[in-house]
Amino acid sequence: MSFDLVFTMSEASLYFLQQLINGLTIGSTYALIAIGYTMVYGIIGMINFAHGEIYMIGSYISFIVIAGLLGMGMVALPVILVIALVVAVLMASTYGWTVERVAYRPLRGSNRLIPLISAIGMSIFLQNYVVLAQGSRDVALAPQISGGWTFGDPQLFEVSLSYMQLLIWIVTLVCMTVLTLFISRSRMGRACRACSEDQGMTNLLGIDTNRTIAMTFVIGAALAAVAGLLLGLYYGVVNPFVGFIAGLKAFTAAVLGGIGSIPGAMLGGLILGVTEALTSAYFPSEYKDVVSFGLLILILLFRPSGLLGKPEVEKV
Amino acid sequence: MKQFSRTLLSVGTALAILGSAAAVQAETLKIALAGPATGPVAQYGDMQKIGVIAAIEDINKAGGVNGMQLEGVIYDDACDPKQAVAVANKIVNDGITHVVGHLCSSSTEPAADVYEEEGVLMITAASTSPTITEKGHQLIFRTIGLDSLQGSMAADYIANTVKPKTLAIIHDKQQYGEGLAQTVKDGLEAKGITPVMFEGVTPGDKDFSALIAKLKKENVDFVYYGGYHPELGLILRQSAEKSFDAQFMGPEGIVNADLAKIAGDATEGVLATAPKSFDQNPENKARVEAIQAKGEDPSGPFVFTAYAAVQVMADTINATGDSDPFKMADYIRSHSFDTSIGKVAYDEKGDLTESTFLVYSLHKDGSKTPAAQ
Repeated sequence: MSFDLVFTMSEASLYFLQQLINGLTIGSTYALIAIGYTMVYGIIGMINFAHGEIYMIGSYISFIVIAGLLGMGMVALPVILVIALVVAVLMASTYGWTVERVAYRPLRGSNRLIPLISAIGMSIFLQNYVVLAQGSRDVALAPQISGGWTFGDPQLFEVSLSYMQLLIWIVTLVCMTVLTLFISRSRMGRACRACSEDQGMTNLLGIDTNRTIAMTFVIGAALAAVAGLLLGLYYGVVNPFVGFIAGLKAFTAAVLGGIGSIPGAMLGGLILGVTEALTSAYFPSEYKDVVSFGLLILILLFRPSGLLGKPEVEKV
Repeated sequence: MKQFSRTLLSVGTALAILGSAAAVQAETLKIALAGPATGPVAQYGDMQKIGVIAAIEDINKAGGVNGMQLEGVIYDDACDPKQAVAVANKIVNDGITHVVGHLCSSSTEPAADVYEEEGVLMITAASTSPTITEKGHQLIFRTIGLDSLQGSMAADYIANTVKPKTLAIIHDKQQYGEGLAQTVKDGLEAKGITPVMFEGVTPGDKDFSALIAKLKKENVDFVYYGGYHPELGLILRQSAEKSFDAQFMGPEGIVNADLAKIAGDATEGVLATAPKSFDQNPENKARVEAIQAKGEDPSGPFVFTAYAAVQVMADTINATGDSDPFKMADYIRSHSFDTSIGKVAYDEKGDLTESTFLVYSLHKDGSKTPAAQ
């Protein structure tokens, strides 16, 4: 960005830009978590209510790994982060797989309400399990990635973009691109798409649907773990209850964008994040949730299947 | 059930024996100590007990009150309002007319009604709810400040000492936080200072970047936060990252070692109103040492307020030569006392005229020191 451009920007537009940056950061992480909801819904038509808890567990695992490696005297931050990422993704994926195996697979084919209840039970179980294992108080981690760029006229308003925010954007973008390629190009992705269209038929054609469904839970959990690591680093605090709120917001994002649609989850996450930031920016911040959930109701009134969702066609 | 009633009977007999033993020793004055000895907040009950016992020992060593020795009798209300009423009735039946307690405001309030009706003098060393003294009771006093005093105290400090150019007030929309934030706002407006912002955040939220950008845009140089440490910790941490360097201040709810864990270096210099640490008071040195010599902890917030409650009673009896609760209440309202928590005086309601809170400056290692006045 050239200096001329910066200096011609007024205070109001610099402020808007700052809030847009804030909103895109929160939105990116909503999107990462929302993918898990939307993929599971897309393939089995059910909401995985334990997904927020997987995100929370991902955060805890990355905290433990980072604190452990720092404690062992390791200093190379990129190495620490990569190890934390790998461990968090692997362990959260295991949790995701287990949730499917324990709470969904035995109930396949039963009334829709039953796996829903078992997933809520799973969510309560995981939350309390972490409370017992880690305590219910906030666990904090010192800032690992600090600093960033500032631009704009210090007399008017200084816009800041931290390295951490940039990292969140980049990682989200990479994850989304890889996921989109995976779903559209790979053999496994094709199986996923086939499964979501007609599970019975896919099974008849010799595709292991159980394995495919387990795979979507694992992918969702892996992305939630990435979000857990990123948000853990960004906010520096985690407690056993963060999963509930984050899950609620991500679920909203998924519904907003059209549940079952992967680009919809990304769009929904970004819209929700930016709406929240801009509402806080121009109205008292207590109206943040009122406005974003009001927006959700409005969109669902006019587009019941969400922004990018396919209209529901009753299967006969 | 049968076994239970048998236990009751034996307890009753034991008490009857104790009662008769006391009757023989006419030269003692019993003070009931009511509070939780069991249950989840028993540790606070212990603080009160340590203070009361220490005060009674010191006073007895110095010759007692009006020639009588003091004797403490412990009653357990488990911080349960129903049990507190039962305890209050029991104290009345046992013929005791002086009570230090109760501890939890929710227990103190119903018990105070019993004492007022039955002519028992009560001084609570720990209950801070304003409603306890709002019913026009004659015999109910405290040796601890009200929660709401923190608000007006913070407002005074901001207006007289900090004198910020642009001030914002943030709260967590909860009864405690928003209530205090409102008191601070009213106090400041009475002094002609109008905050540029008065806004709530959602408890449990993690992202305050939008709020911080807004504070920055308004060129805010002082923020009062009404709420608890988890949200303020994140606000401080994110403010540091966004190079927003206003002075922050909060109530007792933010004074917690976890604040420094969350906010790290950003905790340094944050202001907070908190109950005075009376064990640091040089005048209490001998008392602190005496308590430590018994292997007990003098640093609990209610130790010296409980000590002071006994002092107020003893001084009053010494001065009036009478332990009648109504005469004592009149004397307490019209005089001031030198106690372990400093000079105390009472208003019509039975509340302290001076706050027992102090403005502290918090540090990144989790400690606190009195702030510059």
